[in-house]
Amino acid sequence: MAERKVLVADDEIHIVHVVTIKLRNNGYEVISAENGADAFALACEEKPDIIVTDFQMPGMTGVELVRKLRQNETTKDIPVIMLTARGFAVEDKEKEELEISELLSKPFSPKELLRSIEDILYQRAVMRNK
Amino acid sequence: MKSVRNLYVIATSVVAGSLFAEGLARWYYSGAEGGLRFAGYVFVWPVCYFAAAVGVILLGWYWLRLTGRITSIIRELKADKTSRIKSGGNKIVNELSEAINDRFDDNSGYIAELEKQIKDLQIQIRLSQGQKRNAEAIVYSIRDAVIVIDEFDKLLMANEAAGKLFNFDYKSSQYKPIGELVSSEKTKAGENGFVDFLCQSRQSKARHTRREIVFSNEGRSRIFDCIVSCVYGEGERVCGVVAVLHDITREKEISQMKNDFVNHVSHELKTPLASISAYSEMLVDGEADDEQTRKEFYSVIQSQAKRLNRLIEDILNTSRIESGLIKVEKGPVSLTILIEEQLQMIRSYAEEKNIEIIGQKPIVFDQVYADKDMISQVIVNLLSNAVKYTPCGGSIKIETEVDEIAGLARVSVTDTGVGIPEDEVEHVFDKFYRVGANKKQAEGTGLGLNLVKQIVEKAHNGRVFVTSEAGVGSTFGFELPLATAEAVKT
Repeated sequence: MAERKVLVADDEIHIVHVVTIKLRNNGYEVISAENGADAFALACEEKPDIIVTDFQMPGMTGVELVRKLRQNETTKDIPVIMLTARGFAVEDKEKEELEISELLSKPFSPKELLRSIEDILYQRAVMRNK
Repeated sequence: MKSVRNLYVIATSVVAGSLFAEGLARWYYSGAEGGLRFAGYVFVWPVCYFAAAVGVILLGWYWLRLTGRITSIIRELKADKTSRIKSGGNKIVNELSEAINDRFDDNSGYIAELEKQIKDLQIQIRLSQGQKRNAEAIVYSIRDAVIVIDEFDKLLMANEAAGKLFNFDYKSSQYKPIGELVSSEKTKAGENGFVDFLCQSRQSKARHTRREIVFSNEGRSRIFDCIVSCVYGEGERVCGVVAVLHDITREKEISQMKNDFVNHVSHELKTPLASISAYSEMLVDGEADDEQTRKEFYSVIQSQAKRLNRLIEDILNTSRIESGLIKVEKGPVSLTILIEEQLQMIRSYAEEKNIEIIGQKPIVFDQVYADKDMISQVIVNLLSNAVKYTPCGGSIKIETEVDEIAGLARVSVTDTGVGIPEDEVEHVFDKFYRVGANKKQAEGTGLGLNLVKQIVEKAHNGRVFVTSEAGVGSTFGFELPLATAEAVKT
């Protein structure tokens, strides 16, 4: 099976770094971006299997990024996990509308993130095989 | 006068007596002889007639006296309507006088009673008017808008604030229908809502009802906390309502700002915490294979912990100054000396980056009236920012000017650093604001400049300023009142 690709978007380099290490240690290929615009461009180009993005980024916010992804043919089906430091940043309604798979609040556990990624990708694989 | 009455009796008796005597004599002398008759003619009849004449004169005199006394009573009555009659004359005249005086006394008493009642009523009227004026003055003096309407939705009273808010003359609009005064043509949306609210409250008979109402006036939107209270007349009948509108626009803004601040702080604090937590977990789970990686992780945890600490310190400082909790201890302070002190401390940091620092002293007296520690903090923040955001080999200049005419001392720190884009310059003093492009250049909490602004402007009545050009450099500075100017003020 080809290495699964994860796109990580966050303006905090330490967060990007720790997630990258965790995922790489567990067999994932990781690409990263520091803002929404770069993340979108990278997503279109590289077509990752899953995207992990921060809620708050300079310029385009995480929510705006997901909206853009959903409007684009290439990227509309890529599952998204959102990291947020604010408890009530995204309402349930919005989460459903934007098809965000999971909301993780900061401080988050890299272990849990990994588990979420694996669960989501597994479910996708199961649905695809049906 | 007894004598007059007696006179009447005497006169009447004399006349009667003489007439009788005359008759008697006539009878006696009708049969008498020549000589006796002659005696009679010469003596008796003249006496009788004389007596009769005397009697008539006396009667006449009595009559005159009587009419004279009555005339004087009439004169007294006409001349002075407020005094009693001095009694005079005989029994009848006296009785007349007394009767008139009694009537007079009764009337006087009655008039006095009426006058007293009138005076009482006048006092009451004046008191009522005074109370009414007081009530009006009380309502007029209230800063909140107050409107009183009756059960027919007509305006009873309004104060100046209400007049200004709804655009009508509050003194001359009594009894006009409230719907007319608060028309939607004069002000924008919300007014009909207000009139409806008044009517609903009145109909509901509830003691107090409260609602937030938004008014747009000349493009500005203002929010009011409106409380409508019913005024009860006899029984449970509502005879009117009083509406009080309190402007809470500012309070709402502040509440929103506080909310934003809390959200912002929470985000800022959670970010370094997230790093600490994630890296710790990685270490615990053995995700750091080699020593190099482990050292890297430890170092991140350490630096983020420091960052968290600085953040907390800065937030607390800013909050304390903003809420006035920190005691500002002002005294005459020489800016030159403070700057010199801070320059000493920053020189080694600057030397690491090969940055030249030039200090320029003013030639005149530069004492300001300020808190030494706080101004030191301001200078530190400005200098360290300058060094942080200036690449290696650059230069920083700090100069102090004194404007004696304006009574100000001005300190500016100019660097040849990365500068700030035009559209971001106005935000640099905002809480947590960090210029996007410069985030890589250095670590920061986004609170340093805000602290500078709080200290200079809030605690010292000064002014901060900034000019910048991206890629060229920036000048940050502050102005403070000179010690002499401040001393004169206090």
